[in-house]
Amino acid sequence: MGEDLILELKGITKIFPGVKALDNVQFQLRRGEVHALMGENGAGKSTFIKTITGVHQPEEGHIYFNGKEVSFKGTKDAQELGIAAVYQHPTSYPELTVTENIFIGHEIMKGGIIQWNEMNKEAEKLLGRLHANFKVTDEVGALTIAQQQMVEIAKALSTNAQVILLDEPTAALTANESQELYRIVDELHEEGVSIIFISHRMEDMYRLAQRVTVFRDSQYIGTYDVDGITEPELIKYMVGREITDMYPKPEVEIGEELFRLDNLSKMGFFKDVSLNVHAGEIVGLTGLVGAGRTETMEAVCGITKADSGKIILEGKELNIRRPKDAMKAGIILLPEDRQKQGLIMNWGLGTNVILPIQDELANNGFINNKKEWEIGKQYLEDVDTKAVTIFDPATSLSGGNQQKVVVAKALVQKNMKLVIMDEPTKGVDVGAKAEIYAIMGDLAKQGYGIILVSSEMAEVLGMSDRIYVMCKGRVTGCLDVEDASQEKILELAMEQSGKEVE
Amino acid sequence: MAGKSGRTISATPQGGIKEKIFSWEGALILLLIAVNIFGAVLSPNYNMTNILRESPRYLAEIFMLFGMAFILVLGDIDISVGSIVCLTATMGCLVSNKGMGVGAVILVCLGVGLLCGMLNGFVATKFTELPTMIITLGTQIIFRGIAEVALGDGGSASMTDIQSIGILRAKVGPVPLSFFIVIICAIIFITVLNKTTFGRKLYAIGSNRTTAYYTGIEVQRIRFFSFSMLGFLAGLCGLFLLASTYGANTTTGNGFEMEVIAMCVFGGIATTGGKGNIIGGFIAAFIIVCLRIAFGQINMNTQLILVIIGVMLIVSVLIPAVTNAINSRKKTKKA
Repeated sequence: MGEDLILELKGITKIFPGVKALDNVQFQLRRGEVHALMGENGAGKSTFIKTITGVHQPEEGHIYFNGKEVSFKGTKDAQELGIAAVYQHPTSYPELTVTENIFIGHEIMKGGIIQWNEMNKEAEKLLGRLHANFKVTDEVGALTIAQQQMVEIAKALSTNAQVILLDEPTAALTANESQELYRIVDELHEEGVSIIFISHRMEDMYRLAQRVTVFRDSQYIGTYDVDGITEPELIKYMVGREITDMYPKPEVEIGEELFRLDNLSKMGFFKDVSLNVHAGEIVGLTGLVGAGRTETMEAVCGITKADSGKIILEGKELNIRRPKDAMKAGIILLPEDRQKQGLIMNWGLGTNVILPIQDELANNGFINNKKEWEIGKQYLEDVDTKAVTIFDPATSLSGGNQQKVVVAKALVQKNMKLVIMDEPTKGVDVGAKAEIYAIMGDLAKQGYGIILVSSEMAEVLGMSDRIYVMCKGRVTGCLDVEDASQEKILELAMEQSGKEVE
Repeated sequence: MAGKSGRTISATPQGGIKEKIFSWEGALILLLIAVNIFGAVLSPNYNMTNILRESPRYLAEIFMLFGMAFILVLGDIDISVGSIVCLTATMGCLVSNKGMGVGAVILVCLGVGLLCGMLNGFVATKFTELPTMIITLGTQIIFRGIAEVALGDGGSASMTDIQSIGILRAKVGPVPLSFFIVIICAIIFITVLNKTTFGRKLYAIGSNRTTAYYTGIEVQRIRFFSFSMLGFLAGLCGLFLLASTYGANTTTGNGFEMEVIAMCVFGGIATTGGKGNIIGGFIAAFIIVCLRIAFGQINMNTQLILVIIGVMLIVSVLIPAVTNAINSRKKTKKA
C-alpha cells in the first residue's frame, strides 16, 4: 500500500444481543487528515467509534495502528497508543477544575505526590495552544459546553494523542462557537494530528474534512473525497434513497392573525417581546443560544410565568398560569430536550403519545386500553415511527424517531391551533429531519400556526415564512424570508451587544 | 400525513400468564404461604382465630401503606407518619378525656392527621427544590414535639373512658373492623393506581417529573393531594391504635414510617419513583404481620424480629438486581 495510514480497520463485525451493530465494516485514516464519518442515527457510527477507543471489542476483524495489528482489551490500550475521544456531551467532572479534568487518570506525580504547579503550568500551555479564554483553575461546571469541549480536547492533547475522535462536536454549539471549533481543528490538523469526526452537519464536513466515510444500516458504504462529492449524493448514500427537497415548504395561503404576543417580559430573561403568527404560517424564531427564545416560548406555554405583557390567541387574551392552560387553549409545545422534557423514556411509545389526552380517552377516569392502543398506533404510524410495537420503550428508538414520537404526542391534541417546535431537529439524522420538515409543512397546509425555534440557519431559512431574531432577551428584527440571509440574521442576532436585559 | 412508508406498528400486547406467575407478586404470595406454614410449625397457637385476635394493632399500620405507596411512586418520601400517628392518638386521647364522644374523637384524629399531611404537602409543593426526606424529617420532629408538649410531664396519657370508642373495636364474627378497612382501602387504592388515569399520572410524575409537567399534568396539586391523603391515613392509624391501646405516649408510632416504607419496598415499589405496585406491598405487609405474630407467639425477642425483617428487606431489594445481572450476562453470552 502506498498510503501512509495511521489507523486501519478491516472486516469489523460487532454483534449486540439481537442486532448486528457493525457488519464487516472497514475504515482507513491517513496520517494527518481530517476524516468525517457520516450516516444516519443507528448506522453504527457510535459503535464504530467505541471499537476504535476500546470500549467495545469486535467479534471479527482486524485493527492496524501504524501498520501493526493491535487489539484493544479496554480503553486504556487505545489511550496508550494515542487514540483519544471527545464526546458530544463532555464526560468531565463538573465540580473539578480545568487542570484536574485535563489530568484525571494521568496526574503528574513525584513520589506519590501530585505536582499541582507543574500540572497547572502544563494545562495553561495546552489552553494557550487552543487559544482558550478561561483559566485552568475554573470549575468545569461553570464553563459553556464549547469551553468544556476545549477542556476535553486539551485532555486528549495532554496524553499526546495522535488520533482524536470528535463525536458530534458542533451539535451543542452556537454558530460562533462552531467557528471557534473549526479554528481549533484546523490548528490540530496543521500540527499533524489525525482527526475523525462525526457530525450530522454537512457544513462541518465541507469546512473541515478532506475525506468522508459513510455508514448505513451497520454497513460500510464508501469513502469519498470531500471535494468530489455533492450534498445530494452524500445524502443519497446516507439515507439509501434520494431526498429531492430537504425543505418541502408547501405553498400555503396565509390566513388571518392567529397568535400575538404584546410586550411579553420576564425579568432577567426577556423583555418586550412582541410577535405574531398567522394561520398556516411558519414563523422562525432564531438567535444565539441564550438569547431568550426558549424562555419566551416556555412562558407562552405556561412552563414559567411572564411578569407582564399579553398573550393573545384568536383575538382573545389568555391567562396562562400552567402548562395545562396553554394546552387547553390550543398552544402545543414540542420541548427542546425530548429525553428530559418530551418523553418518559422507559415507557412504551403508545402511552407516551396518548398521555396528554388520556383523560379524554378514559371512561370516568378509568383507563381505556383498547382506545389508547388504537390511537397510539394510528399516530405513531402517521409520523412513520420506526418501531415494532407501540409497547417498545422510547429508549429503544434513535433520536430522530424519538422526536417523531414527540411530534405524535403533539398531534393527538385535537384542539391544537399553534405549534411551538423548539429545536425539533437537534441531533436528528438527515432522513428523519426531512420527514419532520414534511410534517411541519403539512401542519401549515392544514392551517395551523407554527413557531419554529431553531439555531440552525439553513432550517430557519428553508422552512419559515417570516423570521424573528432575538438577542439578549429582545426581538431585534423580523425578516421576510425573501429578504433574509444568513448574514442579515447574524447581524441582528449580535446587535446591541452592549444592551442587557433589565 | 407525510412520510408514509406503509410501515405498521403492532398494538397487540405481549406476554401472558407465565409472566404473571413468575412476577415479584407471585413470588411474594408463595412467600406468604411459606411464612404461614412456618408459623404453624413454629407455634401450636398459630391459627386463624389467634391471628385475627392479634392483628388489629398491626392492621392499623397497614392503612398507611396505601398512602405511602402513592408517595413513593411519585418519587417522594414521607418519614413523618410515625409522628403523625403519635400526635393524632395523643389528641384523640385528650379530647376523649375531656368527656367528648366518639364522634369528636374520630373527627379530631382524622382532622389532625389530614392537617399534618396538608402541611407536608404545602411545604413540599411550595419549595419544590427541597428534598421531601428533609422536609418530613423536620415535620417528624415538629409533630412529635407537639405531641410531647400536649402529653405533658408524664409523657403518656390513658383514656379514662375506654368504652366510648369501643365501636372501633367492633368485630364481625372473629374479624376485626380494621381488617375490613384494610380490604376496602386495598381495593380502592389498587384500582386507582392500576386502572385510572390518576394512577398513571402518579407513575408519570415519578418516572419523569419534568415531562409530566410539560405534558400538562398538575404535578404539584397531585403531590399535595397525596401527602394530605397519607396524613389522613396516618390519622386513621392513630385512631385505631388509640382504640386498641387505650392511650398514647411519647413512643407511640415510633418507627412506623420505616416499617411502612419497608413493606412498600419489600413489595417491589422503588423509592426512586415510577415503579412498583401496591399489590406487592399489600402482600408484603401480610408477610411481615404473619411473621411478627408467629414470632410473638413463641415469645421471641422483638429486636430479633426487627433483624429478620431487615435482612428480608435487603434480600428483597437484592434479588431483582442479581437476576437482572444474570439475565444480561446470559444475553451477552448468547450473542
